Amino acid sequence: MSIIAIKALVKDYDVNGIAVNAVRGIDMTIDKGEFTAIAGPSGSGKTTLLNIVGGLDYPTSGSVVVGDRDLSGMSSSELSDMRLNNIGFIFQAYNLIPVLSALENVEYILLLQGVSKKERQDRAREILIEVGLEKEISRLPKDMSGGQQQRVAVARAIVSEPEIILADEPTANLDQKTGANLLDLMHELNRKKNITFLFSTHDSMVMERAERLIQLSDGMIASDEKRR
Amino acid sequence: MKGRNDYLLEPKLAWRNVWKNKRRTVLTLLTIVVGCGMIIFMNAIATGGHEQMITDAVEINTGHIQIHEKGFWENQSIDYAFVPDDDLLKMLSTDERIAAITKRVNAGALLSFGNNTYAAMVQAVDPEYEKKVTVIHEKILEGGRYLNVSDRTGIVVGKVLAKNLGVAVGDEVSMISQGFDGSIAADNLTIVGLFDTGNPELDQALVIMPLARAMETFTMMGYINSIAVRLKSVDDMPSVRSDIMKRTDAEEIEVMGWDGLMPELVQFIIMDDAGAYITDFILLMIVAFGILNTIQMSVYERIREFGVMLAIGTRPSQVRTMILYESVFISLIGIALGLLLGSAVSYYFSIHPIDYSDYAEEMKVWGMSTLLFPARITALNLWVTSLFILVLAFVFSFFPAQRASKLRPIEAIRHL
Repeated sequence: MSIIAIKALVKDYDVNGIAVNAVRGIDMTIDKGEFTAIAGPSGSGKTTLLNIVGGLDYPTSGSVVVGDRDLSGMSSSELSDMRLNNIGFIFQAYNLIPVLSALENVEYILLLQGVSKKERQDRAREILIEVGLEKEISRLPKDMSGGQQQRVAVARAIVSEPEIILADEPTANLDQKTGANLLDLMHELNRKKNITFLFSTHDSMVMERAERLIQLSDGMIASDEKRR
Repeated sequence: MKGRNDYLLEPKLAWRNVWKNKRRTVLTLLTIVVGCGMIIFMNAIATGGHEQMITDAVEINTGHIQIHEKGFWENQSIDYAFVPDDDLLKMLSTDERIAAITKRVNAGALLSFGNNTYAAMVQAVDPEYEKKVTVIHEKILEGGRYLNVSDRTGIVVGKVLAKNLGVAVGDEVSMISQGFDGSIAADNLTIVGLFDTGNPELDQALVIMPLARAMETFTMMGYINSIAVRLKSVDDMPSVRSDIMKRTDAEEIEVMGWDGLMPELVQFIIMDDAGAYITDFILLMIVAFGILNTIQMSVYERIREFGVMLAIGTRPSQVRTMILYESVFISLIGIALGLLLGSAVSYYFSIHPIDYSDYAEEMKVWGMSTLLFPARITALNLWVTSLFILVLAFVFSFFPAQRASKLRPIEAIRHL
């Protein structure tokens, strides 16, 4: 059963008067529970693709259906609600809210969703323990290492149990060992909670561990390999 | 969704953001505190100074309210006289807001001594009542005295007029004028005292004589030219004046407040207020731009943070509200401290007024007799200053807040 369906997706940018064709006609579907990596060199269109799937950017043409919702024609508020309730984001540079502790950063999504205080604190604490950060619960991002911050970002992304997690080069700023641990964690969550993971990466370790690897080149799919 | 309306989310984040960059917040607070304090103090000095000027002017001669026959004040002639009816006198003596009243006869006259003759303004009063309304009796120079009830031909004159005439206490001067009935009014009067009010107009022209004597000299036949009223509080002037007007015939009697009696003082206060408003405006703009600068910088530094917040599902309106809360929090703290500072400084100067006594002569050249300028804090001053700063902070923060809420998440996240 597909959870993401992309048809004839095109995205053009205008950079200082020069047209840049970031995505040039992509068709693909992602099934629920997949652990998929989109790989390719810089400028191949992987981040653009991820942004459009996440409702952070609008396509020039084509359609993207997430679950049963066609993103084309959705207002920014509707996209905002969809991102809040259906998609978890993990960014390359952690991007936590600096004035909130680890627990509060994770709680933030549940707060926006209107979950009661006790429930959101319990769930956030539980997830942080699950990602191995029970001792860092009260720390501010500035008092944590890059790996710890990225774990908080993962916890924030999964705490509301979204259908999909989009991760834009999640290991790019981490050392090999921390990156591997993070991947293990995400893979475990994928298996345990049946959450669909979609990565953009040019990290060979991520590519090796992905259950499906989609290679992009010049805004088009160069290869699509399902390993399991 | 409940969470979208969680009223604690934005203020909680805003409060923490305010203290994230402590140095910047403290600097902005200093701008607000000093600006707010200065505005309050300057307004308190202006209010206190104006009230002191009014009090001084009222106490010296005019009273808070005067009642005349219609046309007297414009023509300043003895011909405009009236007999106050019992109803009016009863009201004036029983009204709780009125401290005292005094009846007067006013006439223009020529005063002669030896070869010197000068024009003078004669004001005939009952000394017992007059002393309760005005304070000229406190301005008598050494060697003289004020009128008392037993005086028949005694007068007190301004020190400049005395100097011009070349008279001293004990000298007898001749007065010639026109009586109420059109006859010649002439009398020989003895100077019992000289006064120095600091008001050049009074010091060089005013002569105060006993009312009983003036009634005969000017053939007043029970008529008087004015009743001066002193109130317990200057704030009651409009209501008392209105109540007196209800009991008198507007066709025959004019009832004037201190503002109508001294339009030049009103003009001065208006001009002084205009200057104060310009200064207030400049200070408010400094405060507002200080807040704008802080919020602008804070927004610029956090573009990426806003991008993430928007990306993970925070609504633009929540980002905007959070930034506005930050501005409001900084402003409220600054206003609270500014109110304390402004009130404390104003309180000090209400007890220790700014004293221009050393410059009394220079002040007289400018027609100023008020030498002490106390500060007076009013609730209106505090409220208006606070409200202006808060509204300006809100307005000046709205645009950076709006800009942050309109950010495109993917561009904002890439912002360095």
